[in-house]
Amino acid sequence: MTALSGGAAPGGALAPASVPRQAQDAPGDRLLEALRADGAAQTAALREVHLLMLRAARHQVWRMGAMLPGVGTVVREEIACAAADDALTALLGKLDTFEGRSRFTTWAYKFAILQAATEVRRLAWAQREVPLEDTGTWWATEAGPEDYAEASDLARAVTQALDHALTDYQRRIAVALLVDEVPIDVLAERLGTTRGALYKTLHVARGRIRAHLAAGGHLPAPAAPAEENHR
Amino acid sequence: MTRSHPMLTKRQAEALVVDTEPWLSCESCFHLMDRYVEAERAGGSPDPAMMTAMQHHLRACAACAEEAESLRELLESDGGTQED
Repeated sequence: MTALSGGAAPGGALAPASVPRQAQDAPGDRLLEALRADGAAQTAALREVHLLMLRAARHQVWRMGAMLPGVGTVVREEIACAAADDALTALLGKLDTFEGRSRFTTWAYKFAILQAATEVRRLAWAQREVPLEDTGTWWATEAGPEDYAEASDLARAVTQALDHALTDYQRRIAVALLVDEVPIDVLAERLGTTRGALYKTLHVARGRIRAHLAAGGHLPAPAAPAEENHR
Repeated sequence: MTRSHPMLTKRQAEALVVDTEPWLSCESCFHLMDRYVEAERAGGSPDPAMMTAMQHHLRACAACAEEAESLRELLESDGGTQED
């Protein structure tokens, strides 16, 4: 694992301690100050920030509309409103962590985008089973000619690596996320874990696959192995 | 349950071998996303290590990549020179 400079921030984020403020953001400063105040100014600021959240949430629901083919505009608007509400709550809980390294608007948008995207994915998969493999030998030997035609040497080598280089848990996670294309937050919810934990498992699995392929001459040798302290 | 899969497609295989070093968690990606997208729009950042880590993460994590792209679009629709 490559270490990066910078101090720790929430979630292990990189946060250099002495980076000057880069964003000139007078309206954002005004909003921030009002959110931290009391009374009418705070109420007005909350309304203003909620509108920002609603704009971002609507945008996100619109972007992911193809995942909700049977869902009409009324329900989509309800999804966006609920996401904006939840995102505002999340933002207020993190207000003290805003460092002014971006515009306040940009910082606020990301909360609504995350909330809306997570909700759309959850709804899109609400009635779908999440497949998880239990055994190590499950690749079909009777794949159709179109599958073979699409499979490169790399694909064949990766298929072998999945069977031989990963633990059962790593293989289940990697296949669910990258072969069956289960959204990572949906899989996290079904497994009672977090998006971050699953991504870490995937990171280690990818490192093992790469090392297996490098040993077989399919990839250049890795500079450093991925950390192996996860399942 | 055992379920049969066809052979991996080339696209799936490539997704399984994406190099995710330098390591960056989804939580850190979220923490940095606003700075990263603004730096992209500005054409650079004083923190190239952060930019590299974000680029690697966004190539490897479909959910974070979707959210970063959405943020780019929102800022774009706010105007080329966001007044915020």
